[in-house]
Formats: sequence, structure tokens, C-alpha cells
Amino acid sequence: MSLNGKRILIAKPGLDGHDVGAKIIALALRDAGADVIYTGLRRSPDYIARVAVDEDVDAVGLSILSGSHKELVEETARCLAELDAGDIHLFVGGTIPSEDHDELRQAGARGIFTAEMDLDEVVAAVEADLNA
Amino acid sequence: MSETSSNPRRALSRALSRIANADVAETLAQQGAVPTPEMSRIGVTGAPGAGKSTLIARLAKLRKGEDHKIAVLAIDPTSPVSKGSILGDRIRMDAIADDPNIFIRSIPSRRSHDGLADNTADLLAAMEGHGFDEVILESVGVGQAEYTIRTLVDTVVLVLLPESGDAIQAMKAGILEMADIYVVSKADLPGAELMVAEIQQVAERQTADGWAPPVISTSRNDLEGFARLDAAISAHAKWRKARMDETATQRARARYQAQGLIARRIDEIMEADNSLLDLDPRGLFDALIAKLNPSRRDA
Ligand SMILES: Nc1nc2c(ncn2[C@@H]2O[C@H](COP(=O)(O)OP(=O)(O)OP(=O)(O)O)[C@@H](O)[C@H]2O)c(=O)[nH]1
Ligand SMILES: [Mg+2]
Repeated sequence: MSLNGKRILIAKPGLDGHDVGAKIIALALRDAGADVIYTGLRRSPDYIARVAVDEDVDAVGLSILSGSHKELVEETARCLAELDAGDIHLFVGGTIPSEDHDELRQAGARGIFTAEMDLDEVVAAVEADLNA
Repeated sequence: MSETSSNPRRALSRALSRIANADVAETLAQQGAVPTPEMSRIGVTGAPGAGKSTLIARLAKLRKGEDHKIAVLAIDPTSPVSKGSILGDRIRMDAIADDPNIFIRSIPSRRSHDGLADNTADLLAAMEGHGFDEVILESVGVGQAEYTIRTLVDTVVLVLLPESGDAIQAMKAGILEMADIYVVSKADLPGAELMVAEIQQVAERQTADGWAPPVISTSRNDLEGFARLDAAISAHAKWRKARMDETATQRARARYQAQGLIARRIDEIMEADNSLLDLDPRGLFDALIAKLNPSRRDA
């Protein structure tokens, strides 16, 4: 199994200005064979959804450290659906307390990755989800 | 998955993926009867980090309009180790990504070694077929990109860094003969003026068919240089239209495409049966030629 041929957008919505984690994930996914697009800091969910459509990605990974993960995941899912792209898979990573996980899954997140997880674990989860 | 979508951008985007991922047989099957409309194509090439994406963002913003929709095809290198890629051109074009009259697509180079990507010709044609008036192609800044991009686009813009020695480097590699317009980027950095003067001297000697390649310096925070580039591209397009040899252009493109498809088909054959590689060179050559047309052999 690999991520060869899979296109993944790594995006940073919200106001926090730390993208080291996002860049590390981007590189790990590239090393697992994916084609990775990165959008830069502080992008709106609407902007992220448009880029996801134009780039025809298989998945969007949102990196969120600001604490507003619920709103941002919901809003991104809504924007994707509005663009007829509700089938693009959504992942979220960052500082996300476990009591929020259920709600995030309901909002459309297919994977939730926290700082405690190994990179290998994250990559394996993405791989399993996209090859399912 | 279906390419029909209530969202036309999604439909285009899907179509581009299908074309980019098509193997040789699929690519051949997809060659439509649809004639390529005559749209202008601009190719931007130059060493890694020369400032190509930054320049394209500024240029697209100047050239786009309600009646002039622009598509950008940006190619970044595939890692030979993981076969993955970081498609980083787009991040330099963030300022224009929201514009409804501009469409940006990032593509990995995959096996292609000529600075472009598999099926680039078909991707360009598909963008044109979806109503874009102009396509800007960003090559991977390595190897022989300058030569191949020449066959696929109408106007080649070569971006050079203002570092001393770069002019000599470019002359040695022969790439200075390939461009219609030279840009010395990052003019805010030292060395730019000298570089412009050097390139100007070289460029003066290569006035071909009446087109004297201009040398333009640009700096990312100064729109004036990009405005001059914009004007130079329009002037070149006009000049080219007046004297373009349509047959020669189409022949060069057909040749590039056929060579690319055959090279990929041979790769596919060797990957499917790598014991072929144990043959001596002559045997391998003959076996590959025989396998290029299996239907005839098996019949
Ligand atoms: N000082 C200065 N830096 C610039 C200018 N234009 C671009 N850069 C910087 O140069 C670096 C490369 O710019 P890009 O536009 O990504 O160059 P590129 O040729 O597209 O790079 P690749 O696609 O990786 O080959 C970035 O860090 C830019 O911020 C400029 O006018 N002045
Ligand atoms: Mg670039």
C-alpha cells in the first residue's frame, strides 16, 4: 500500500501562525508517495475548499492549533459540499482534546491526529482511509 | 468517478486528473477529434528558485480579465525516491488563487525528465477546451526544459537569477538561444544590472526573423517590471501570429508527443517484465521493438 497517485492538500485555517507541524506532515506524506499541495497560513475554509476543487485532491488535511477546530472543520465540510465536492476526504490535526473527537467525526473528519501520535501512525491512517 | 458536476471547475479539474493519470493506451484512446483552438500559450522556465511562480502570479493578474480567462499549469518535480512530490508553486500564487478568471493546477513531473509532466500536451489542450483564453505553463527548472517547452508554447520566457556567473552558465548550456523574452528576476538583489547588461549583449546577436528578444528586469514588489513583461509578451504573440508557420508548429508538437508516448510505452513494457533487462543491448532493443506492437504479433 502506498500513497502513490494520491493528491492531498495540507491547509491551515484559523489564526494561529505555527505551520511547522503542517510542513512536517506534508513531507511525511510526500515520503509515503503522495503529491502534496500546501496553502500557507491563515486561509479561510472557503478558500481551502476552492483550492481543493481546482487541484482535484483526494483529501484535505486541516492543521489547527487555535482551538476553533469545530467551527473550522464544519465550515470546510460545508464549503466543500457547496462546491459539489463533499466526497473529498477531510482530516484534522493539531491540539484537539479527545472530548471533541466525536463531534468532529460527525462534522465530517475521517481522521483526527494529535501531537502525541507518531508520524508513521498518521501516514498509515491516511493511507488506509484513502485506499479503502 | 464522473466528470459531470454541477460545478464546472470541478468538472475541468476532474478531466485534468484523468488526462494526467492516463497510461499510454488510455492517452491514445482519449485523443479526441476536437481540434485544439488557437489560444496563446506562454511558457515560463528557468533554474529552480529563479522566481518563476512569483512572476506568473503577477503576470496572470495583469493579463486576466472578464474576457481573458487564464489557466496556469505549474509543474514541480517528483521525488525519484518516494515518487511523491511537494507541489509548491501554488503557494507563491496565493494572491491570485481566489480570482474566478484564473485557474491554477499543480502537476508532478512523474517520469518525465524534460522539465514537463506526462501528457502535458493533452493537459494544455484540455484547459484550452474548457474556455481559457491563455495558458501559462511553469516548467520544472532543470535539465532540458528550455528545449521541450519551446515546442509546446508560443512564447518562452526564461527567468534568470541576478547572480554573477549565471549568464555564462546559461550561455554554456545553450539555453540562451531558446527564449523569446529574458527576465532577470529579483532585481532588488545586487548584481541585477550587470546581469541585464550581459544578457542584453548576448540577446542582441540573436535577432531571428526580426524578433529581438527583450531583456526585462523584475522585482516582486515593483509592478512596473511585470507590466513591461506583459507588454513584451503581447508584442511577441502578435509578431508570432503574423509570421507563424502553422504546419511547422503542429509538426514539432506531434513529434514531441509521439516521442513521449513511445518512451513511456517502452517504460511500461520494461516495468511489466524486467527479465527483459537481462538481454544484451541488441536483444533488448529487438524485444522492445517487437513488443511495441503486441496485437499484430499475437494475431
Ligand atoms: N528578493 C526577491 N526574492 C524573490 C523575488 N521573487 C521571488 N523571490 C523569492 O525567491 C524564492 C523562489 O521564488 P519562486 O517564485 O518560488 O521561484 P520558482 O522559480 O517558481 O521556484 P521553483 O518552482 O521551485 O523552481 C522565494 O523565496 C521567493 O519569495 C524578488 O523579486 N526578489
Ligand atoms: Mg515555482
